[in-house]
Amino acid sequence: MSNAMQFYISTLLIYLFIDIIGVLGLNLQFGVAGIINFAYIAFVGVGAYTAAVLSLGPDHPDNFQHYLFGANLPFPLPILAAGAASGILSLLVGLISLRRLRSDYQAMVMLVLSLIATLVATNATGLVNGPAGLATIPWPLYDQLGLSPVEYQWVYVGWAGLLAVFTFLFVQGITNSPLGRTLRAMRDNDRAAAALGKSITGLRLMIFVVGGVIAGICGAVFVEFIQAWSPGSWLYPETFVFFAAILVGGTANNWGAMVGALLVPVGFLEATRFLPQIFYQGFIEAMQWVCVGLLILLFLWFRPSGLFPERPGRFRPRAGALSRPSDAPRAQGALSK
Amino acid sequence: MSQLIPAVGFGLITASILAIAAVGFTLQFSVTNILNLAYGDIMTACAFAAYVANQAGVNIWICLVIASLFGAVFSLLLNRLVYFQFVRRGTRLFGMIIVTIAMSLIIQNVLLAIFRPTFFSYHASQGPSYNFGSMVFTASQLAIIGIAALAMLGVHLLSTRTKLGKAMRATATNPGLARSCGVATDRVIDAAWLVSGALCGIAGVAVVLNTATFSEGTGATLLVPIIAAAVLGGIGQPYGAMLGAITIGLASEVAASVINPSYKDVVAFGILILVLLVRPQGILSEVAAAKEVAA
Repeated sequence: MSNAMQFYISTLLIYLFIDIIGVLGLNLQFGVAGIINFAYIAFVGVGAYTAAVLSLGPDHPDNFQHYLFGANLPFPLPILAAGAASGILSLLVGLISLRRLRSDYQAMVMLVLSLIATLVATNATGLVNGPAGLATIPWPLYDQLGLSPVEYQWVYVGWAGLLAVFTFLFVQGITNSPLGRTLRAMRDNDRAAAALGKSITGLRLMIFVVGGVIAGICGAVFVEFIQAWSPGSWLYPETFVFFAAILVGGTANNWGAMVGALLVPVGFLEATRFLPQIFYQGFIEAMQWVCVGLLILLFLWFRPSGLFPERPGRFRPRAGALSRPSDAPRAQGALSK
Repeated sequence: MSQLIPAVGFGLITASILAIAAVGFTLQFSVTNILNLAYGDIMTACAFAAYVANQAGVNIWICLVIASLFGAVFSLLLNRLVYFQFVRRGTRLFGMIIVTIAMSLIIQNVLLAIFRPTFFSYHASQGPSYNFGSMVFTASQLAIIGIAALAMLGVHLLSTRTKLGKAMRATATNPGLARSCGVATDRVIDAAWLVSGALCGIAGVAVVLNTATFSEGTGATLLVPIIAAAVLGGIGQPYGAMLGAITIGLASEVAASVINPSYKDVVAFGILILVLLVRPQGILSEVAAAKEVAA
């Protein structure tokens, strides 16, 4: 295989694994627990910035870019710190927005939060270098490994894949555990779940933070690969690429979410990146976003539960145990709320 | 102090634009029960409709009327052809919010594809300037304030003095009960889309008249103060939205003059967070509370 081809394929694979991590985190929040987090990409962004400044080294007045909290931590620490930073931010946001707010308010607040986060990162130039963003973030362990760039990319494929598998096992573990059952019960009918003694706010907050940590790790692994990050990398519509992936793949089905990550962010957005520029610069990107919107609408219309619907619970009531068939417990899904 | 009074002047203009937009947004949500997050992008679409008419040589004030008609028809069609179809198919609150976001992406990027990524401005003179103490207004800014006052008066008269307005309020409070009392709720909802769409169109042009330039993303960025104003007043409350718009408009412009103009929206967001912490149901919230019980 030629070098260029190897670069291309390994890059796509890395993107795929990173998108899988991101989509799984959002699927846990939205699909399983029914939390609408329209600011998901902001948590990815926080993770990316954290990992970036912690591997760039301390800021220096002579630098071409300026940022706070610069440090030069060894390899896995920036990623862990990214997860922690996103998690702490999720906790703060969750404490404000998940507490006794109606879900329509929550959706609005999250969307506004995403817009505001971009605004702050752009205008507070001392924080993370403003609109220009951060660049020349070093590849982790690149100097120590002594590999050629192509070989290094394949190592990174393995590393990102390992994290994706770990994230999948973790999220799947939560989904299939008694905790996952409780979360689905809360999603389908929060009042009934509360009546059975479940702390709705506590559960939502916990899943919001867990999803936030996953988002932060996703951002960190991404930024350490692409080596640059700016406010333009995490504008609010990016969240809806993840949402589209979940809706296409199958809400609350982690296998489906992974297929969605393969189809939407990777297959759909990355592949069209190599189309020839027609009409003018930016036309293809605009059309990509139109297609993401149409994809969401088409799936909500024709197949609201996605390509791989959530598997219904194994519990089946005996005939006549419940008076109406519509009373039978079944997974209602995040969208029917 | 010398900065403060001109800032209050800017605040009045921002508040006027926000009031038109936020009242439309909140009216739409209360009557139709659809949280239309594509509202900002419909504003942009209306601004572009006015732009096209303006390029054809139409006077800017007639363009404003055209934009409001465009907004009304566009919103009605958007509901009839997209939103209502999804509601009829059983898509609920969560799903509907995502549907409106998808529409927002589509509208914004179709506009981008048609008009290309640059900034646009109208052929319109700002008119002579008038001094009120140390506040300076151009003629078109005074006109914006006047239009906002008229629009608010219109919404007030519509909702208190007309049968349609009463029917709208009844539909907003309890659609089922309204229907069984003989209110044709479907037609009332259509009317609500028309009225709120017209307000959306006026707001879209007023924004551009004030800031002079716009692009495909202008409306989406305005969503922050619009939502802040609507939530501050208690969502679904037209009078609350007016109050919220004045608060947000004045506070953000005054803060902008003291701190940094690029943090206007951050101030609006700060107020929004404060309201959510202290009084999550908003200032005027009786209807919102009643709805939650009924839901």
